[in-house]
Parts: sequence; structure tokens; C-alpha cells
Amino acid sequence: MAEIPWILGGKTPARVTEDICAPIERPPTALWYAAFAASASVLLAGAASMAYTLFTGIGTWGLNRSVGWAFDITNFVFWIGIGHAGTLISAILFLFRQKWRTSVNRSAEAMTLFAVMCAGIFPLLHMGRPWFAYWVLPYPNTRGSLWVSFASPLLWDVFAISTYFAISAAFWYLGLIPDLATMRDRAGAGMKRMLLGFFSLGWSGSARSWSHYEKAYLLLAGLATPLVVSVHTIVSFDFATSVIPGWHTTIFPPYFVAGAIFSGMAMVLTLMIVARKVMGLEDYITDRHIDVMCRIILTVSCMVGLAYLTEAFIAGYSGNPYERFVFVNRQLGPMAWAYWTMVSCNVLTPQLFWFKSLRGRIGLVFAASLVINVGMWFERFVIIVTSLHRDFLPSSWASYTPSVIEIATLAGSFGLFFTLFLLFCRFLPAIAMAEVKGILHPAARPGAVPVRPPAGGPPVNAVEGGVS
Amino acid sequence: MKNKRYWRGLSERENPQPDTAQPEFAEPPAVDEGFDISLSRRSFLKAAGFSLGGVLLSSCGRGPVGEVISSLAQPEELVPGRAVWYSSTCAGCAAGCGALVKNRDSRPLKLEGIPEHPLSRGGLCAVGQASVLGLYDDHRLRAPLSAGKPCSWEALDAEIIRELDAISRKGGSVRVLARTITSPTLKAALESFLRRFRDGRLVVYDPLSCSALLDAHQSAFGLRALPRLHFERAGVIAGFDADFLGTWISPVEYAAGYRAGRTLEGKPARQSRHIHFEPRMSLTGANADERIVLGAREVAAALAHLALDLARRAGLPAASGALPACPIDAGRLRGFADELWAARGHSLVVTGANELSAQLYAALANSALGNYSHTLDLDRPSFQRQGDDGALQSLLAELSAGRVDALFTLDANPAAELPRPGAWRKALEGTPLVVSFAGRVDETSALARFTAPDHHPLEAWADYEPVAGLVSTAQPVIRPLGDTRPALESLSAWTGNRRPALDLIRDHWRGNIYPRRKGAGSFEDFWTSTVHDGFAEISVPAGRAGAFRPSAIRPAAPPSAAAQPHQESPAAASGLQLALYAKTGLLDGRFSDNPWLQELPDPVTKIVWDNYASFSPDAASRLGLAQGDVVRLSAPSGAHLELPAHIQPGQHDGTVAVALGYGRLGTERFADAGPRWLQGRPTVAPGMRVGKNAAELLAFDGGPISFDIGGVSVSKTGARHELSCTQEYHSLQLPERLASEPGETRDIVRETGIEEYRRDPSAGNKQEHGHESLWPEHVYEGHRWGMAVDLSACTGCSACVVACQSENNVPVVGKDEVGRRRDMAWLRIDRYYADRDGGTDVVFQPMLCQHCANAPCETVCPVLATMHSAEGLNQQIYNRCVGTRYCANNCPYKARRFNWFQYQKEGRLSNLALNPDVTVRMRGVMEKCTFCVQRIQEAKFEAKRLGRPLQDGEIRPACAQSCPSQAIVFGDVNDPGSRISRLRKDPRHYRVLAELNVQPSVGYLVKVRSRAGNGGGSEHG
Repeated sequence: MAEIPWILGGKTPARVTEDICAPIERPPTALWYAAFAASASVLLAGAASMAYTLFTGIGTWGLNRSVGWAFDITNFVFWIGIGHAGTLISAILFLFRQKWRTSVNRSAEAMTLFAVMCAGIFPLLHMGRPWFAYWVLPYPNTRGSLWVSFASPLLWDVFAISTYFAISAAFWYLGLIPDLATMRDRAGAGMKRMLLGFFSLGWSGSARSWSHYEKAYLLLAGLATPLVVSVHTIVSFDFATSVIPGWHTTIFPPYFVAGAIFSGMAMVLTLMIVARKVMGLEDYITDRHIDVMCRIILTVSCMVGLAYLTEAFIAGYSGNPYERFVFVNRQLGPMAWAYWTMVSCNVLTPQLFWFKSLRGRIGLVFAASLVINVGMWFERFVIIVTSLHRDFLPSSWASYTPSVIEIATLAGSFGLFFTLFLLFCRFLPAIAMAEVKGILHPAARPGAVPVRPPAGGPPVNAVEGGVS
Repeated sequence: MKNKRYWRGLSERENPQPDTAQPEFAEPPAVDEGFDISLSRRSFLKAAGFSLGGVLLSSCGRGPVGEVISSLAQPEELVPGRAVWYSSTCAGCAAGCGALVKNRDSRPLKLEGIPEHPLSRGGLCAVGQASVLGLYDDHRLRAPLSAGKPCSWEALDAEIIRELDAISRKGGSVRVLARTITSPTLKAALESFLRRFRDGRLVVYDPLSCSALLDAHQSAFGLRALPRLHFERAGVIAGFDADFLGTWISPVEYAAGYRAGRTLEGKPARQSRHIHFEPRMSLTGANADERIVLGAREVAAALAHLALDLARRAGLPAASGALPACPIDAGRLRGFADELWAARGHSLVVTGANELSAQLYAALANSALGNYSHTLDLDRPSFQRQGDDGALQSLLAELSAGRVDALFTLDANPAAELPRPGAWRKALEGTPLVVSFAGRVDETSALARFTAPDHHPLEAWADYEPVAGLVSTAQPVIRPLGDTRPALESLSAWTGNRRPALDLIRDHWRGNIYPRRKGAGSFEDFWTSTVHDGFAEISVPAGRAGAFRPSAIRPAAPPSAAAQPHQESPAAASGLQLALYAKTGLLDGRFSDNPWLQELPDPVTKIVWDNYASFSPDAASRLGLAQGDVVRLSAPSGAHLELPAHIQPGQHDGTVAVALGYGRLGTERFADAGPRWLQGRPTVAPGMRVGKNAAELLAFDGGPISFDIGGVSVSKTGARHELSCTQEYHSLQLPERLASEPGETRDIVRETGIEEYRRDPSAGNKQEHGHESLWPEHVYEGHRWGMAVDLSACTGCSACVVACQSENNVPVVGKDEVGRRRDMAWLRIDRYYADRDGGTDVVFQPMLCQHCANAPCETVCPVLATMHSAEGLNQQIYNRCVGTRYCANNCPYKARRFNWFQYQKEGRLSNLALNPDVTVRMRGVMEKCTFCVQRIQEAKFEAKRLGRPLQDGEIRPACAQSCPSQAIVFGDVNDPGSRISRLRKDPRHYRVLAELNVQPSVGYLVKVRSRAGNGGGSEHG
């Protein structure tokens, strides 16, 4: 089978550098400014509502004595899920030698970091007394040696997420080093060059450097791989280890991991479709890349659908009346609209991707990816709110309506995400140049053959000079 | 003026001595001759340095401030941090329940029942519990008012005495309008005060009038008296629209008696049977074994038929003339008559209707059954209601005609709580001298020329004789917070001989009460022991009641014909019957400015902070009403009222029910009862009041005040008014659409019938399955606390809810927060409806933290803020809590409460009512029932101090203590002899959601109803 190239336009390594550095090196466009202004404004509105919550209390949300979590934890799980695609693409696909990942991994990893930052807001903010948030950390203290409860899944969350963020950040930064060196080499003298020189850690592009780099990258990929599974597994334990019908299910870990990959892929697709258009990177993120991602999404969608079916089946099969009621209530009760939104977004919409012709229609794919993002947010909402609002004692059944503050906080998290992503696109290469160069030639294998920095790069001693 | 001489006493004046004659010092003080008055720089610096240093040093310590004076000799009974309990009498209503007042550091904090009290038997209702908050009400008057402006008592007394002298000179008329007075001293004082005038009269009324009941006994027995009801002696109780467990006359006394008749003790198990006829769903009806829903007029007709049937059986010559047709199946009514007849002498027929004919029929039925002097005591009657609506009517006429020169209102608010408030207002405005004793500005005192504010009952000495032969005292437990004065003292001041209330009471007792004492002893002994105990039983003069006169029954008058000017047609919207009732906790509205009571959910509707027009589901769908639609009720008298609609299962289709006691002056301040935030809505709109005053709709023409008004038309206004409730309609039977099989119900409440129970004590109950555990179970070596709630005893009266609020500093959160389902009650009473033969059953289930052994909340807290104690308590550590709410989510009973806002505020006078033994929680932390851990600790320390083991029953959580029907039992499960251990082995004992293996420490006892064919627990689960 003749190998179809992943990068179009017969690029040379120099051309790759030119293409990818161009959007960073030229002044921002009006479109960028407009997008930045919009997302920063939304971020500001979100920040204002967060400040209001901090000063006034959690009462500014629509929660009540029965529904103790709603938008807060929904948003948290949603953003953690979004974060999953980055690690999946950069680590697991790397280990599986998937060449196409090179075009998207940088952005996907950046997205992971930003999504985890967005996610991290909510567990802090949802606390009644966030100023004591550090009490969830196990450290020796003077408060009578008060310790944390290792039995609580919330504590496992703290560890899982902080580990995940640390590893993802390290992985992302490590991947950036050769590209930062390239940019350093292209930059004129001055602050920019100094900064890039500092962060590229004196990268020389020697064979020795490459050898060490590749080993470190492989090791980190191996280290990050279990995290793809563990983080969302642990997040799912928040629910699975409880006694609340609708939460207390053993299927949650694989179900949550599949859902996370699903939503993460959809978000990567959303961002990449926009980015390649705006930044003129169609040759690097080709229709074929999109096609591959659509196929992954279709696969994971089927897994998620299977999980929905399994849950429903077990609810009936278990003979547990409370469990059974929760599922009937989800499907027919007052919040049935949320359940059916979830099913139609997450299970029905991706079925379009069975057809190659539809996978090729970028507008349609973009719309579908947005729909899936919405659907995955609703999945978490359904799990959290419909389980809580009608549990064991009918006397305590209640409903839930979000407050303006909650909606603004959710919007603000999107504002933060896009603001950070726009800054990323502005200041760092959105595509891993070094890695893309590795797959330019059919013979070249990603990661196996080191790709040198462009020939026009300065000599090694100049690099060192840049650092010092 | 040099030669002007000042002298200190006559002796000095007589023997003037020069000042030098007695020198100040025995010998002249040594004067340092070398001291130079001119200040050298050196000595200036010395002095400056010393003073500066002295000032600095002395300001380093925190010295005593203000009037705080440390006691050199500690008063014996005052130990800081230790409560002192004083016996007293609850003044919440005229029922006269015994109350123990808990005093800590010289301020009263909580009221509890006196366990030995013959009336209340240890219980105390929600109103009584809440009255302590009224003491710390910053809206109480701090000084007397003259024409609305604060003045001094001297000025007020001078003016009133001048006016009264003028009236008595010209032979004018003076009236005192008062709610029922059970105080013998006050009554005597009023009589002697009024005797000074040629035309002085005391008019007594009751807003929730029982005048017809008294009048009926006047015409039937020749004695205007209220018989004392002994529910504990009644085997069969027939109630006709009398809410005797909730609001009628003396609910705590009646509930205690009712419970005593339903203990399920003995063989066969003792349980009275309660048949109830009523138009609306009352608390009492909800507890009935058999409940017949009829309109108010049909209830009266049923009573008449029943009474005549019984009279025939007894051979009493009672004429039956033109009676309306029997509203229920005659056979069924005859069945009820059979039951009553079989229980002759220990049955009871009561009606709450304020209609002479209905009360006469009830008297006839009770006479026919021979119940007088068994279950109804006329020889030792009750004084808990003395109101005379006839006298009230003539007073209004006199006032309106301007024939009264002075009106004193004592504990009375006619401008708000009586029918035709407008007429009263006009009459008050037209009366030259109106003096109110109200402790706060209310509708009447606002119109009074003078207000002589009375003490809060907790600040004053008082005496009571609620029922013949039982006297009780109330003692002041705090120095008056304002410059108020007891009414007794004011009256004595205006008769020219001002004396302290205590002296007046003691004098009256020496002359009138002491001679009736039982046993020997001096007056001082009698007085001291009475004040110590709170009550004393004394002899009663021989009864004056005659024999029953059947001729009193006037057969020609069909019930309530006078009050029914319109032809009734229940089907038409214009022909609804209006039932005006008192809400549990709010009664006639005298405590409508008490936020605890406003936020106490109605036991049946669970609505807070509002009154509303209740319609049956059928009536609502006929009228096209949804919950919260504002309707306009127009009475035939022309009075009208706009109220939100509430849809109430179990109500009569032709009846609309409205609670009295709302829309009162002073409730405007609850606009900021709750937190303020972006989307928060005020509890009442600015300038508006809580609810609407329905007194306008009361009918009062000719006969007694009528609470049942016919021919009321209802129209939708199109407006909406959201009602806040703590619990919606959800029944234990799942919504049909969501149930996996028709009629699927949750096994939360278990109940059975008395016959089934007598056959098998575990009827209706199910065996708990054992669970295997992978983990080591908790070991409880010392105590293990547990609770059992007898669903058969619980009436849902909600006394425990307020008791818990008072004991545990549970905040008031306002209407909006409750509407958002953020009520903070640690103990709530879940109410479930069930359909039964076309009727509606109600069950109440007190629900609180179950203190599970395998508590789901404990494992999920990341910071260990909720812990398991070695004694089985599930403890919440407020200062460790970071507020993740995970524990509340994971609580199967949803018993945990989160502080969404900073609910408690600094700088409120009402903060003085906070219990210092219980932490005030800040925003962002979780809280819940602690089993009153502060009481457990206190009792343990006390036992340790005395070197003896804890005794069963020594620890009583606030809820268990207050319960009038003793439904809650708390104790040590590890003590095999304790009551709780016995109850846990009771065949009726079960635990809610035991199948989750959370192993709750709270158990429930299966509800047993006295009726045949109760389908076990299947209706509810």
C-alpha cells in the first residue's frame, strides 16, 4: 500500500519552519485581537462572578440541600475530560507510532494544560470555605496534627489531578524545547532571544542532545500513559464509591475514561479546524487528520453508547428499586430533556461519521464536534444532578436551576480556556516543527530518526551565548 | 453671702461648731518644707516620665469595664457556664402548660416542659418553645408611649389618673377588653379596678373563639364553663372539625392525653379509636383513624344525626325536628354511633365549631354517652377559654355608639384579630381614652392614646389557674430589658396605690389560694414550694353544674342557618364554603413577629412564611387553579381577600380554607429575614406583611364569631405569588409514569392496623436482613447512643422542630431560601400522603441525622471534618469543615444542612437567645443533628461529678424533651435495661433504609392505626 503523506504541499524542513513560525513572528491580526478581546471579556465576567461567590457564599449558586453539586462538579469533570485528548495523543499515540499525531499533539497538549487549569478552578471554588483549601493537602501542620482522610475520593482527586497537571506540563515543555531553540535561532537579539534561549535550555541540536531528548520523551510518554486512564478513573470514584443510586456503579471508571477521550477528541477537532483555517496550516492539519480523528470519535462514541446501555440494563437487572427509579427518572422525569440531549449529542450525532463523504465535510465535522462537546457536558450534568435530585426519601426530592452566577462562572472558564489558547497560538508554535519534519519523508519514522534543526541555525557556541 | 451657714442636721444647726473644731486629721499632716512648688526641668521630666510610663503600663492590661462587677462572694446558684432552671408557666397561650426556663449566665435561653405538670406532662408546643425569642425582640417597646411618643411612667400615670378621675367623677363607663385571663390575681385586680367606676366592665374574648362551647354548657347545664377534656380516658373519640392536637384550646394537654390512650400497652393492646369529620386537612384529621371529609355544614349535620341517634339510645328526650339530610351513609354513621355507644362513659365527642347548635349536639351526645364527669369534667372545669362573643358584640356596639369613655386593652388586639377590624379601628379612634398594655406596637396599640407596655412573661411575676384546682406561677428570670411595667402594677398605680406585682400576687394568694391548699404548712411554705415546682394542686369549690337539660336543644334551628345567607351549591365557584382556621404555631397571630414560628412549616402543607387559600385538587382543576395562582375570595358580607392558592389533598371539594393570624403589623421587618444577594428575593416585598389578614372574612352577626362562611366566591386574578415549602407532594408511592410497576412505593414508613397488631405485634414490619461486612465493625465499649421514634405517637405537631432550633442555634433563613430548598432545620417532619378508599391518609415521620454506624458521610470527607465517636455519634467538626458538601450528597436521609450564606449576623438583640453551648456556624460549613451532644456531655459530667453511673432517661435531647406525646426516646443502646434497648427489641422497631447497611442509630416504630383492614405497610411501603 502506497503511503499517503500526512503533510501536503511537498514541504521541505525549512519551509516547515517558515510556515509554522510565520503566524508567531508577524504582528497579530485583527481577527486575533477580536477573538482575544471577546474571550478575555468573558473571562473577566467569569472572574467577577467567581469573586462574588467568594465574597458572598455558595448560596449564590442554585444548589440546595438535596442537590449539593451541580454546575461546579459538572464543569470540573467536563474540563478534566477535555484535558484527556492531549495526553492520549501525545503519549499513547506516540507509543503506538501514529505519525499523524505530530500535527496536532502540540495544540492538544496545550489544550490539556489549559483544560486542567479550568477544571482546577471548580473544586477550589465549590468549597464552602475555599480559603482553607490547603487543608486537603497532607502536610505536617500545627493544628494538632490534623491529617487528611485517605478514604475520601476527593483526596484522591487532589493527587490525581495535581500529578496529571505536573506530568502534562513537563511533557509539553519537553516537546517544546527543540522548537523553542528553532525560534531562538530565528529571533534577533534582545529580550525575546534571551527568553527563548533560557527556556530552550541551551539546546544545541547535537546528536547527543537528540538522543537524550528522545529517551526522556519516551520515558515521559510511558509515564503519562497510565495517567490517561487513572485521572478519570479516580474522578469517577467520586461518584462510584458513594451510596447514591445513579452514582454507585462499578462501570464508572471505563465509562468515564471513554467519555473523557471522546470529549477531548471533540475539543481537539473543534480547535484544530479553526486553527488551521485561521493560521493557514491546512497543509499540516489535513483533511486526512480530521478523518482519522472522526473515526476515533465514532469508535469512542460507540463505547460511550454501550456504557449508557449497560447502565440502563444493570438498573433493570439489579432489582434495586432505587437504582431502577433513578434511570427511569432520568429518561422520563423532570430532567429527561437533559438525558435525551446527552443521548442525541453523544450517541446519535457521531453516527454521521460512518460515512467517509460526511467526514470530509469540514463544516459538518466542526458542527458535530461542537454538538459532542455540549453532549459531554450534559452527560456529567445528568449523572450528577439527576441522581441527586431524587434519591432515597421522596420528602427530600428537589429540583435544580442554575443561577446567573453559575452560568457566568461556566462561561468564564471557557473565557479562560480560549484566552490561554489564543496566547499560546500567538507566542508558541502551534505545531511541533521538529516532529513534523520527522515525517516529511516516507522513510522517516517519527521519533526514530532525529531531525536536525534548520541548516540556517547558529553555531553551538552562539546558542550558549544566547543562554548566558 | 459670707454669713450663710449650711447645716447638715438639726443638731448641728442647734450647736454650730466651727469647722476647725473637728480637724480632718488627728494631727496635722507633715508638710515637706523643702518642696518647691515651682517645677524644675528635672522634676518635670520625672513627673512626665512617671505619668507616661504609668499610663502606658496601666493600659497594657484589660481592666474591668462599665458596670461589670466581679462578685467577691459568688451567689450560690450562679456558676458561670452552668444552667439554672426555674419553674414557670408558659404564657404562649391560655393553656397554661408548665415550663422550665433554662437560664445561663442570667439570661433565659430555652423553655421546656415540666415533666410532673398535670396538664402538659413535660411537653411544650412550638409556640411555647418560640416565646423565648420574643423576649429578645428589638421591636418591643422600651418605654411607655403617650400619643405614640415615648414618655416616662410618671407622666403616663399622672395623665391616666387625671383622665380616670374625670371619668369616675362624671360616672362614665370604662371597659377592659382582654383575651382570656387565667391569672386569678390579675382578674381580681381588674375587677377591683373596674369597681371604682359606676359603669366598669371586663369583656373577655378569644380570637379563636370557643364562646359557643361555653354558651352551650350555659344553656344545657346552667354553668358557663369549659369542661376539662380527658382524652386519656377516651376509648373512642369522635372529632367534628376540632383541631385538638394542633391548635384547639390546649393542644399539648390534649396531645399528651391522646397519646396516653394510645400506648399499645396491655392485653389487648390499648389504643383509642379516633373518628374525625372535617372540611380541611388538619393536623388532628391527619392523625385520625377514620377521617370523613365533609363541608362545615355537613359536619354539623352529621354531628346532629349522631347526637340524636345516641340520645334515642340513651332515652333522652331530644326533639328532632327539621334536620338536614344525613350527609354520609346512614349505616356508616350508625356504625360510628355503635362504637361510641359501646364505649359509653369512656368516649368523647368534641366539635370545634363555634356554633351553639353544634356545641349543644355535642353536649347531647356526651350526655347520652354518660361522658360527663368521666371524659369531660365540669366539676373541675377549664378556664383556658373564657371569651364571650355576645359581650364582645355589645362592646363593639357601645364603642361605635361612643358610649364608652375609656377602653383598656389587655393582651388584646381587636383591630387585627377580630371580625370587622375596620369597625374596631373606627370604634377605637372614636373612644376618648384608649390605653393598651401591649408590649409592642400592634394594630390596636397604634390607635391607643397611651401604651403602658407590659413585661414579657419571662420578666414578670404571674400566676395562673388554667383549670380549676391547678394553680401555677411564673417567676421573672431576667431583669426587664426595657422600661416596662407589669399590667398588675400599672393597674395598682392607677388606683392610687402602686405596688410591685409580686406583693399583689402574694397578697391575693394569701387570701384566696392559700386557704384552698391541700395539706398543711404556712403560707410561706406553700408559696415557696409552689414557685419551686411551678404549680400546685388545690381544692375546688363544689361544682355548680346542673344536670343536662335536653330542652336546651333547639331542633328548629338547622346548624348555622344564620350564617348562611346564600343557598349553598358546592359545585359552583361562587358557592364555596370558607373555613378559617388557625395554623399550628401561629395560632391567632399574636406571635406573627416571631421568625421561628413563621419559618416553622405547617405540619400538613409544609408551607412557610405565608397564608394561602387551600383548595382540593378537584376544586382547583374545576377552577383552573395552579399552586401559587392568586385568587380573590369574596364573602357575602362584601369583605374580600386576595391570596395565593394552595392545592391540598384530602380537603373537601366545596371548601376553601384560609389560615388566620397573618398580615400583621410588624411583619414588614421580615423583608430582610434572609440573606441578600443578586438573585435573592425578600421574604416580604418592601412595606408588605407576611401573608394576609383573614380576620376581615370572619362572620360576626348576632351569634358567636363564625369561622365557617358560606357562599364565598372565588375568582382568579391572574397574578402569581410563589409559596415556599420544605416538601412537595411527593408521596412514597412513586409517580405513576416513573414507577416500574403500578403502585410502586418506598418502604420508608411502615404501618399496620390495630387488629393485625393484636394478632401479630410485628404486623406491617419486615425482618432486617443481616449484612456481611468486609471491614471490622465499630466497637462501642462504653455508651452507644440511640433513638427510637414511635410513628404511632408522633402527631406531627412540630414542637420538636422549634425545640431543636432553639437548642441548637439553627438560623432563620427566610422565605426565598426555603423556596430554594435550603431550609436549615436539623430535625424535620416528613409528611407523606397516601390514597385509601378515595380518601387521603397522612403519615408524619420525624427525620434527623440517623447517626449511622457505617456512615456514608464519614468516609467521603477529605479533611475528616465528620467523624465517628466512640459512643456512636456521627460528629460534625465545624471548624475543620471546608464545605465540599460531599457528605450531604452522600447522605441517604438528606439530613445534612449547609450554610449557604452567613445566616447569623452580629449585633442582633435576638443573638442573646443563642445557646452558648452550641457553636454558631459560619457560612460554608456543614451542620446537622448532633443528638444534642452538649446535653450528653453535661449529663456525663454531672454523673461523674456525683460519682454515679448515668441513669437511663437522664439525657433528653431537645426534641425528645419537648414532645407532648413522648414519641421520641433516647438512650444508651449498650445498657440492656434502658428504654431504648427495650424499644429496639420491640416487634414494631425498624430502621429506615436498613438495606443500605448504613446501620442507623435511629429506629422507628411501626405506626398502628385503629381501623380494620389497614393493608399493613403496603400503602406506604
